[in-house]
Amino acid sequence: MLGLPDEFTPQFLTRLEELRIRTRRQYAGMGKGAHLSPKRGSSLEFSDYRHYSPGDDFRYIDWGLYGRSDKLYIKLFKEEEDLLTYIFLDASASMAFPASDRKFERAVATALAIAYVALGSGDRVMLRVLAGAGAKVDPVFLYGRHRIVELAQKMRAIKPGGEYDLAQALARELHSIRRAGKVFVVSDFLMLLNSVTRGLGLFTAATMDVTAVQILGGHEVQGQGLEGDVEVVDSESGESLRVAIGPREREQYHQTMLRLTREIKQFCTKRGLHYALHLTDQQFQDFFARAVTDLGLAH
Amino acid sequence: MGLLYPGALVFFAIVPALVLAYLARERPTRVTVSSVLAFRALRGFRKERYGGRPRFDWMFLAELLLLCLAVLAMAGPFVIRRSNPIAVLIDNSAAMQASMPEGGTRFQDAVAKTEAMLLASGGAGKISVYVTAPAPRRIAPPYATIAQARRAISRIKPLDAPDDATAVAALLADIGSGAHYGKVIFASSHAIAAPAPPLVHAITSGDPIPNLALSSFTLRREMFGAEALHARIEVSNFGTETKAIEVTIDGDGTRVADARESLAPGETAALEFPSLPPARIYRAVLSPSDGFPLDNVANATSGAVRAVSILFITPTPADAQGLSTIPGAEVKTVAPDSFTPDDLKRADVAIFEYSAPKELPLVNALLVMPPPDPVFGFAIKPASQIDIAGWSKTDPVTDSVNFRMLNLRSGEFFGEHPWMSAVVSGQGGGLILRGTRQDHRYVATGFNPFPYLGKRNLPMSVLTLNMLSYLAGLGASSAGYRTGEPFLVPAGVTEVTMPWGRKMKAQPGTLFQNVNTQGIYELSGPAVATIPRAVNLDDLAVSDLSNSQPLKVEVAPAPPSAASFAEKASISPWILLAIVVLGAFEAAIVYRRRHRMAEV
Repeated sequence: MLGLPDEFTPQFLTRLEELRIRTRRQYAGMGKGAHLSPKRGSSLEFSDYRHYSPGDDFRYIDWGLYGRSDKLYIKLFKEEEDLLTYIFLDASASMAFPASDRKFERAVATALAIAYVALGSGDRVMLRVLAGAGAKVDPVFLYGRHRIVELAQKMRAIKPGGEYDLAQALARELHSIRRAGKVFVVSDFLMLLNSVTRGLGLFTAATMDVTAVQILGGHEVQGQGLEGDVEVVDSESGESLRVAIGPREREQYHQTMLRLTREIKQFCTKRGLHYALHLTDQQFQDFFARAVTDLGLAH
Repeated sequence: MGLLYPGALVFFAIVPALVLAYLARERPTRVTVSSVLAFRALRGFRKERYGGRPRFDWMFLAELLLLCLAVLAMAGPFVIRRSNPIAVLIDNSAAMQASMPEGGTRFQDAVAKTEAMLLASGGAGKISVYVTAPAPRRIAPPYATIAQARRAISRIKPLDAPDDATAVAALLADIGSGAHYGKVIFASSHAIAAPAPPLVHAITSGDPIPNLALSSFTLRREMFGAEALHARIEVSNFGTETKAIEVTIDGDGTRVADARESLAPGETAALEFPSLPPARIYRAVLSPSDGFPLDNVANATSGAVRAVSILFITPTPADAQGLSTIPGAEVKTVAPDSFTPDDLKRADVAIFEYSAPKELPLVNALLVMPPPDPVFGFAIKPASQIDIAGWSKTDPVTDSVNFRMLNLRSGEFFGEHPWMSAVVSGQGGGLILRGTRQDHRYVATGFNPFPYLGKRNLPMSVLTLNMLSYLAGLGASSAGYRTGEPFLVPAGVTEVTMPWGRKMKAQPGTLFQNVNTQGIYELSGPAVATIPRAVNLDDLAVSDLSNSQPLKVEVAPAPPSAASFAEKASISPWILLAIVVLGAFEAAIVYRRRHRMAEV
């Protein structure tokens, strides 16, 4: 529908429109929006008092406090602004394997769903593609729900490929970001844990509110289809390992994969990041319904 | 257990080489994965590195087992089984059809005694069944059980063919030598002359009985012009008493002749029937009947009296027409211009009228008023009127000819001839010359006896028939056919109808083997008229039931002790079965693995 993935049925879009992005911090936006901003503004939420100065709008003078203290104070209110949402999509070669798991398609769908939630809430969205081949997505903020179609068309032209180091790539991206906001990193995170923690840690250090979305294949986690003497080749580095896989080895591999995901989740929990894991053998719509909180979204 | 081809075990040398190759092999399936991060932990389990402990793989074990089994199968393994194989040789020749005084036939008695002896043997080994007629042979591969052998024996029928005593004795010597069988049961009307082979247990069925036999039935045509045939039947009395016998002959089902005779013991009499009326098939029956009815009947066919083929080379074909009316003569006319020596190949007699061949013909030939020629070198003196002055009175050509009644006009006289002599001569020289050259008979006439007019010119016809009889060499009896002796299928014959009515395919020019029943065989084909052929027992040795000669079996001086035989039972079929099962198992596993791999 409108170039969106098949999972984006009208019912699913309706459910996405009921969601909004939740942040643990207040970020200054670029315009009026639904998120409280650290700026003083005209919202209904009280923020602070300050001494009245000539020229202030006397409608905000707190007359009750004047009666008690005989001093004029002006009531200050918080500003409500839009949220700058950054979505980092991992388009490295690893996202293309195993082909039967369609990991990259699920990653694109996840990014588009988050973008739709943000755009539907009146927030601004900037999509950044890490590595990848094919068309490039302009590093500009998109605003307005209708821009989701344009975004979907651009993302459809992206092909997974290449290799990158998450920490270095995110550091480069951080340099180009001038205003803090909500950050979503969509990746399989099949890399050294050190690289993951350093990359994500950079954003938390920059007072960003980060959600890590890990996309893994169902067969990939189970090690299904690998039997006997196998030379496994890393899709990105080209490194090859020769292993003999039997039932015991397959179970060992499965436990290792679970341990890797568990370590990333523990890091996120410890550092106050949101973390969600999506296995491609699950229904995408069910995953989005169940992982609203984990994704850093709210109704 | 042993091996038939132990040399094949050298292929076992491949096995260690394969194991080494397996240990050193690096042939994993190459699969691209998103990351090898999780696989690093597996390296600790990887034992396939050279020098490391090899990973146990059922498939490799199965392949190794397959290879070993294949090498073993090539070596031809067998196990030794102790057994006591038995050979049964049953006489199914014509003599076994003779009746027994107590009822039944000799064959039935032999079968019953054989089966009883088989049952008593216990059946500790395979049983081979042989028969004696028409030639000694084994009827089928050895039978595993007594029941199978008894079923096979019950299907054997006695034939009308005689056996070959020499061949039977040779077979007995072979199977009774102890090299193949632990016991030989020989059931026959023949006894075995002492010393009998120790392994041969002879069952002699039937005591000597008196027998009357038609030992020969032949037909012949004595001369040209006679429609009637001359039959000769020989009757033998193989008994101890003088017998009054009667022989009747039916021609196509009608009684045509009979004769009576009294035969002394051991006497053989020849009964002559000089003028049997024409018939297609003759059947002679001897009475009184006796215990061996097979040789009391004999058949003969008039077709067996061979026709004389005459090639008539003449510029006036009308002269040859009268010859076709002579019974037993087939005439073919050829003009001298179209004659070739190849035409003589199918002729018994050649007649050259007013002509002479360019080379000496290799068939008996009559030359009628030949021209001067270099081959025969006749000295010819033509004459406008010829008269007969003299003739040889004892010559077959002139026999019974009334020369005074011969009315000769113009002709030619022959002068002296180097190798032909005059049997009829006139005042100017010889009129009929006769001579032989290169085993062929030649007659030359200075006058023309043709056309053949039969009774209308009796003196000339008698002379003509005399000359043709002399040239055709008539007088020999027809050849008979005997049971058990294959006959040559004539040209054009494609089917043979057996005496019991069954039709069998036949190939011209080949031997027809199935001649084991006495009777009339009808030979037919799409382009030939049906030829009846009589096949008779015609064997005095068989008919002499009172004096059966014992078989003299020559055996080795010291036959090996054969209480039990070591029998090699091959186990290769079981190994091959195991290979197939293992192969199927491996194929199924490999398919399953690849199918799962393809899902990655």
